[in-house]
Amino acid sequence: MTPLTAPEPAFGRAGLAAVAGLIVVWEILGRLQLTIFIPSASTVAAAWWGLVRDGTLSRSAGSSLVSLLKGFVPAAIFGVALGLAMGRFRTLREVLDAWINALMSAPLSALVPVLIALFGVRDTVVAATVFLFSFFVIVVNTMTGVRGTERSLVEMARSFGAGEAALFTRIYLPAALPAILLGLRLGAVQAVKGMVVGEMLISLVGMGERLIYYGNTFLIPELYAVIVSVLLVALVSATLVQACEHALVRWK
Amino acid sequence: MKRWLLRGTPLVAFLALWQWAAWVPVSFNFPTPWQTLAALAELLGSGALLQASATSLQSLALGFGAAIVIGVPLGLLMGVVRGVGRVARVYLDLLIALPTAALIPLVILSFGINIVSSAVIIFVFSAPFITMNAYGGVRDTRPRLVEMARAFGASWRQLFTRIIVPSALPMILAGLRLGLSRAFLGLIVAELLLSPFGLGRLIMNSRSMFEHDKMFATVVWTLVLSGIALAMLARLEARLLRWRAA
Amino acid sequence: MSEPVGIAIARVSKSFGAVQALSDIEIQVKAGEFLALIGPSGCGKTTLLKCIAGLVPIDSGRILVGSRAVSGPGGSEASLVFQDFALLPWATARENAEFGLLLRGAPASERKSAARRALAKVGLAGSFEDAYPAELSGGMQQRVGLARALAVNPQVLLMDEPFASIDEQTRRILQDDLLRLWSEERKTVVLVTHSMEEAIYLSDRVVVLSPRPGKVHRVFEVPLPRPREALDVRASADFARLVDELWQILKRLQ
Repeated sequence: MTPLTAPEPAFGRAGLAAVAGLIVVWEILGRLQLTIFIPSASTVAAAWWGLVRDGTLSRSAGSSLVSLLKGFVPAAIFGVALGLAMGRFRTLREVLDAWINALMSAPLSALVPVLIALFGVRDTVVAATVFLFSFFVIVVNTMTGVRGTERSLVEMARSFGAGEAALFTRIYLPAALPAILLGLRLGAVQAVKGMVVGEMLISLVGMGERLIYYGNTFLIPELYAVIVSVLLVALVSATLVQACEHALVRWK
Repeated sequence: MKRWLLRGTPLVAFLALWQWAAWVPVSFNFPTPWQTLAALAELLGSGALLQASATSLQSLALGFGAAIVIGVPLGLLMGVVRGVGRVARVYLDLLIALPTAALIPLVILSFGINIVSSAVIIFVFSAPFITMNAYGGVRDTRPRLVEMARAFGASWRQLFTRIIVPSALPMILAGLRLGLSRAFLGLIVAELLLSPFGLGRLIMNSRSMFEHDKMFATVVWTLVLSGIALAMLARLEARLLRWRAA
Repeated sequence: MSEPVGIAIARVSKSFGAVQALSDIEIQVKAGEFLALIGPSGCGKTTLLKCIAGLVPIDSGRILVGSRAVSGPGGSEASLVFQDFALLPWATARENAEFGLLLRGAPASERKSAARRALAKVGLAGSFEDAYPAELSGGMQQRVGLARALAVNPQVLLMDEPFASIDEQTRRILQDDLLRLWSEERKTVVLVTHSMEEAIYLSDRVVVLSPRPGKVHRVFEVPLPRPREALDVRASADFARLVDELWQILKRLQ
């Protein structure tokens, strides 16, 4: 069972060099004016700055981030809880495992129209999409983490008289923590994807709406500017979780 | 027998919840499971569903096919030539982190509203994952096996075809499964936005005509279709990897 | 069946960067002899074996297998057997045994029969040939590794701690099977081992290497009678004495 590939933040010298190289090539291609669909990096930067100054970016980004949190936080809480339960209790796992896996690889975007039918064309749909996109990844990784706990550790704790609660807090949870954090990191990336998909499909608020709008109105540098902003949100979210990871799992 | 009973429980619970939601009703014209089933039968009978599926699957075949043909060799190259790997993985990591849907308006602008756009979108959704998995597969090759083959006089070509590629195969196949699930995701988002095509169009049409039962039916059909495709790939994977821990 | 040949290792040195693994090694292995290489960790015994196999290029000196100087891996003279078996997990036992021949371009029918013969020699005839490594025990996997080495008809067999990953009971059986096999074909064997008992039990001579840098410290004769597997040699007083002598030498090197 392969969890989704996790993005390593593109830091480190090779990474920065590669990104710098990309920007240089982009600038050159843009200057060559091959097609209006590839503006130069500097044009995009200018457009980006313009969006920041007139408040468009902060407004749409703000709305996006609120939806992101409204969807991701419940997904994290319920996801870890369910993952812990499924990892610990075999019957529950046997009942739900196949369904969770099926939903994780299903094209969840197909459910957005259903969500719209349910909630109407509102930002709740975005939060719900964020939840769906991130929930299953978190459950699966958490469950894998719990199941991966070394049997010898459990037996050792039992031999010293540990009860269920102690087992959970002192053995399963710490042992599963790296996997849980990996799941949260992957979940964060998935959450941002869900946010964009949801916003683009209801085309009402947030950065997704801006993408549709600039696309329809042929404002290409602005379109690129929003794309870059979305990428930054994704990278920052992943990095934040990774920072938590490093702080919490120092023994690894 | 007991396993099927256990496994089926969530489905039953879900259907019960659905029925209740339609009965309340939670929103305007929310169809019951039965109504959805009836709409499904009607759509199948009229041929609309099959026609839409054919259109969608065409885009999928084009986009996903291209992703395999380009992604797997690229991933292998990245694994074998260290320099290429180190540079390319940065771009691929960015592509994987990026919410790919954000690129859809750009693709539509560049290529127009046609099957090429759909295919390109599907390609961008799935290719990075396929490539990174193939790359990972090469990097996971056990050095001992390479040493053994060299000891028996293997040439570079033989090392590649008889050690590296078979070693990477499990991860390549996992990457294909992941890529296919991503491809369907991209297909649906693209079609919901692009509209004049395939299953996405059917969903949007039904929605705009408030025929929610037809919309739900198409959504269910889409999920089932993707489920079947993924299951088929999983079976192929199992057959090719029979040698794994028996 | 090819004739066994001797190995001449003349003034061989090898460094990895600043670390000198082998220094001025001089060993003559007689044709058809069973030689053991032993020494504390870091003495370079595995490195020396890989140099004979041509996997690791030497910095100075010369290694002759028979009359040919070793210049690279894959010559038809020497075959390698690995501690962790190094079997292709996606191939059956027979396909694994065929691997060396496959790399040399031997036609399928010839490969198949040679592999079958080799598998029979190591005691894995019949239904085993279609089993995958994941379905075989450690001992059986190493038998496949041995069959692979034998199938290419080498003049020299190089074994890198071949039984270290195997439980003791199976190890003893494999050691006896190896001796039986060897007495039938009398190939030249160089075996690297950590175990003094194994070195004494199997070989005609034991070369003790000293660590950092690896040098030949002692060459130790093993005048025990053969066939050892049939004579219950382990129980003899001579055996115990020789093991202890070897241990005394090694102890001072730790």
